[in-house]
Amino acid sequence: MTGPAIAPAYAGVDELRRVARELLESGEVRVIIGWEDARRGARPVFITDPAEADKLIFDTRCVHNLVTYLDPRRDHVSELGRIGLVVKGCDAKAVAGLLRESQLSRDHVVLIGMRCGGVLEEGELPEPLALTPENVAPRCYGCDNREPTLTDHLLGEPQPEPPRPVMTIDERVAALDDLPLEERWAFWTEQFSKCVRCYACRQVCPLCICERCIVEKTQPLWIESAAHPRGNFSWNLTRAIHLAGRCVDCGECERFCPVGIPLSLLNRKLQQIVHDRYGYTASDDPENAAPIGDYRLDDQQEFIK
Amino acid sequence: MSERFFISETDLRGLTADLLDGGTEVIAPVATDICQSPSAVAATACTLDGSKVEIDYRQLTSADDLDLSRGLPQLSLKEFFLPEHEPLCRWRQKGTTVQVFEVPTEFAPRVVLAAKPCDAAALAVVDKVMNWDYEDELWNGRRAATTVINLACQVIDDSCFCTAVGAAPDDVKGADGLLTPVEGGYVYEPATDKGRALVEDFAARFSADVPADTIGGQADDERAAARARVADNLEIDADSVRDWIEANFEDPLLTHLAMRCNGCGACTGVCPTCHCFDIVDEQEGVGHGTRRRLWDTCQAPTFTLHASGHNPRDTQHVRYRQRINHKFSIYPLRFGEVLCTGCGRCTRVCHAGQDLVEILEAIDIAARRPRDAEPAEAAS
Repeated sequence: MTGPAIAPAYAGVDELRRVARELLESGEVRVIIGWEDARRGARPVFITDPAEADKLIFDTRCVHNLVTYLDPRRDHVSELGRIGLVVKGCDAKAVAGLLRESQLSRDHVVLIGMRCGGVLEEGELPEPLALTPENVAPRCYGCDNREPTLTDHLLGEPQPEPPRPVMTIDERVAALDDLPLEERWAFWTEQFSKCVRCYACRQVCPLCICERCIVEKTQPLWIESAAHPRGNFSWNLTRAIHLAGRCVDCGECERFCPVGIPLSLLNRKLQQIVHDRYGYTASDDPENAAPIGDYRLDDQQEFIK
Repeated sequence: MSERFFISETDLRGLTADLLDGGTEVIAPVATDICQSPSAVAATACTLDGSKVEIDYRQLTSADDLDLSRGLPQLSLKEFFLPEHEPLCRWRQKGTTVQVFEVPTEFAPRVVLAAKPCDAAALAVVDKVMNWDYEDELWNGRRAATTVINLACQVIDDSCFCTAVGAAPDDVKGADGLLTPVEGGYVYEPATDKGRALVEDFAARFSADVPADTIGGQADDERAAARARVADNLEIDADSVRDWIEANFEDPLLTHLAMRCNGCGACTGVCPTCHCFDIVDEQEGVGHGTRRRLWDTCQAPTFTLHASGHNPRDTQHVRYRQRINHKFSIYPLRFGEVLCTGCGRCTRVCHAGQDLVEILEAIDIAARRPRDAEPAEAAS
């Protein structure tokens, strides 16, 4: 694509504002969680006053997975009352994850699904940009849920497929897989050495639901909390494995990482393994049981010696 | 008027090489092209234009690595004075005998070159708490061993607000000298004995012959322009903000600051003044281990979790209020300094959109607003 990109606000914003206003006016929900345009670009917004429903936007900058605010750790959000949540298809998968694991009551939330044609890698822009192979969030490529099914309201119009990124996540994972062991080790050693153990990856993850994370258990100290190589490898691998077969690939952990560790590569590798071994792919159908919570007699177990 | 010296671009690199040759550790901004590292394998950016640069303060191995482009390093200088993790002591236990091995608290001399003024100013601010009821030997040892030379800043973007919190883009607070770029080199102004010693020790690299109306004038103009640019981003009355926060702890503005905050603590990690730490004992085998301190964050629930299970800061709102309160009210009331130097990293790093410029503006407006709800005394 050449020339200045034209701002694509997705269709359905007027409907979104109307539905949000009506939900608040009728008292059906106490707060709408969606996106707004702020000084530094798109960001999450909490609207309790129907008159402010016009703040809502939906465009290619709406990268945030707002389902993180439904996470049971968010006491300060759940105490507001019933929530109206704006979701893209990828976000709806995270709602299904919370329902599947009994972390959310379906009655507590009204889901406003938006038909989506992909988002940018970063939402901190003054104007939305049209998607190009250079700026599209790589996870959007091949998205199987651009039209969420787990919704109470489905708004907008069917959107075309997002462009293919310059390098897909699968290609990046394959590039790593092709390296000799020592080079792969050097890659992850370099990446994890950057970690400052802020746990932004955990905090923003809609499916990191533990009230007390294992890394906070200090007696005994299971995972060293110091940012030395031992501690950083333990933490980053444990985080990834706890999400295996649960991660919905929203990419928020990587986007929030203040030092730029490419966590989506780990997550995608685990998704591939879970898919190959259990035929499971995260969807927005809460009835579709995830391997971690579903025992089957024919599960592969040859690794048990 | 402070003394001024001229140092050419070549001599500044030469000075860096002299320091390194003499065995002095030099810390400075270094631009890393991640496409030249193992990370390139999986970095999308490297497939686009073949280059993605990250700026970090690093210990230099060569004077060629010194980056004077004046971009903002990802992390502040904090890690060189309060490392992400450091041993406090090591122990070995045999039966009932416990041996404790102390760590050294004296450090070899080192020089920080081209520090951001906001990062250097943070050192002076944090000095206060590190020498309050307990003198932190590790912090003080590193501070004493280090000469910090600032490079005047041109202001990064609209999240910078150093002038609103008593700092400036050409500040020497916390530093020993200041470099300001001019035609062909830099004007160097020592601010302390350590800063003057640099000129004395490497006299051949400096020239005292600075034509005040040309080179000096250019430096002054650039610095004034930078100060004006940053003042445009935010102006607050820090004293009113301090007092208003103290008097209005339960105001909805403060109790509902953190709706969108994920409590991740990335803001505290990148902050040059956030200094809270945790202490853990790492068992490294039977009967021996290391006691270590590491960065902690007030944004995590465990920061204030009591052994009883009670948590006085049990929601993200109150944890976020604590961060604001500590920086802009508690610390200035106790130490006379705002615990913030306006570097803007917390705002830039927050992908949930918590924006300190916006928050301070809102508090400043509240602090300036006449209290119309209260009956005016002696009005009648």
